[in-house]
Amino acid sequence: MITIDEITIVRDGREIIYDYSEQIPAGSITVIIGPNGCGKSTLLAAIAGDIAPDKGTITIDDVHPILTPASSLAAIRAMAVQNQGFTLGFTVRQIVEMGGESTEVLQALGLTEISDRLVTTLSGGEAQRVAIAQAIAQKTPVLLLDEPLAAQDISSRKRIIELLQRLADSGITVVAVAHSTETELTWADKVIKQFH
Amino acid sequence: MKKWFPALLLLSAFTLSLYVGATQIDNFWSALINPGSNEILWQIRFPRVTAAVIVGAALGVAGLLAQGACNNAVAEPAILGTAAGAAFGAVLAISTGLVEVGTIGAIACGTIGALLTTALTFKLAAIRGALSSFTLIIVGIAISAIFTSFVGIASAMASRADARSISFWSLGSLALITSENLIGIALTTLIGVAIAWRIAPALDRLSLGDATAFHLGVNVARIRLFALIALSILAGGAVSTVGSIAFIGLAAPHIARFIYGPSHRKLVAHSAIIGGLIVVVADTVSRTIAQPNELPIGLATALLGAPVLIALVAFKNNVWRTQ
Repeated sequence: MITIDEITIVRDGREIIYDYSEQIPAGSITVIIGPNGCGKSTLLAAIAGDIAPDKGTITIDDVHPILTPASSLAAIRAMAVQNQGFTLGFTVRQIVEMGGESTEVLQALGLTEISDRLVTTLSGGEAQRVAIAQAIAQKTPVLLLDEPLAAQDISSRKRIIELLQRLADSGITVVAVAHSTETELTWADKVIKQFH
Repeated sequence: MKKWFPALLLLSAFTLSLYVGATQIDNFWSALINPGSNEILWQIRFPRVTAAVIVGAALGVAGLLAQGACNNAVAEPAILGTAAGAAFGAVLAISTGLVEVGTIGAIACGTIGALLTTALTFKLAAIRGALSSFTLIIVGIAISAIFTSFVGIASAMASRADARSISFWSLGSLALITSENLIGIALTTLIGVAIAWRIAPALDRLSLGDATAFHLGVNVARIRLFALIALSILAGGAVSTVGSIAFIGLAAPHIARFIYGPSHRKLVAHSAIIGGLIVVVADTVSRTIAQPNELPIGLATALLGAPVLIALVAFKNNVWRTQ
């Protein structure tokens, strides 16, 4: 269970999130939606421990991400950022294996055929799937995904959604940011609407 | 074969470098297998060529650490102000009479200078918040320019005898190598390479950006600090011993990356070998091409390394992509 308790996040003098509380149930898919600039990615980054709320607390079960060392936190939550950049020519498999065992997740996301390709040569959609695969390979109880379906074709979207549903069924808590309408999110167990 | 090629090339260059020079060594192979049998071979050339390998290895790994820690293809000790800081530390200590040229004391002062200027570059680059690669390079170039000027001022204030040594050393030369500073630089290189080896997997993750590295369990600030310390020890030791040798820190890691890929564990060893190879060949060229005069080694390192780097970038440029 992820508990967000009365958090306020101020960036560049602007309150991005104000006095916000939420509970995200374990073993479910929760999708955060809302217009650009409403704080969806900021909320996800705060759950990941990337940024500290100016007020309030976030806990993953009893763990405070912001107070937890990076190495311990990496065993609790994994995150795929939006627009993952690759500067060095590692192969797809090498990048996924930085997260953990790769074979299964490469297959599940349709990346096996390109597993020996250099990540510097991938399209935006392929690069995003590699970032998702790396996060899943970490095998953490909480999986955070920023825009996992952006730049994906229909079959890749279907593949990602099916995989996320299987992960949630196995007890993993999935939280994703998406640019979708609520009616499109039939695959989500819970939808959080962020409005600023 | 590809794995061992640079190492074999280094071994061949090492042997050739022992063989060639102003004085012909009689019965070279016999002298080579009998340590101490020939004074020129064992007391002059062997320490000098060994120092060339160590200096090249130190500068190659220092460049690798700079590029990995900054996630920037053009980072190297000369760009981050590390080399200028090392030179200033050593020259200041020499000109004030604290230490003499070519001693372990000079290495220590150079290393402290390198550490302080690199820390200053990182501190100033992060003054407005998150550390950006671009700001780091701009600040590094500025810090480098400032401390290079300080080196000039300190040199001008040195005694006539010291000024001659400083001038010769500042152009980059292995002629001043002694057994004492050979031990000193071997020690600093060993420490720096050991730290580089230890943090290499974290540098792989750092190439994905600070946020993703953190998500994968890397303490980004701590890894940068270790990289900064290691590159300062490596570059500080090398620069304070043989002066500023440009280009090795940039070229060696890139050439290694083009051949062996981006994994930092492999690159620590290969950057060291390729750095050593470039300096050994450059030193051999610099002391034989215009005999009896000796050229500054930096001229030869640039002339040898630059064309190789240009050729690799032109024909195989997919191992480092700038965003």
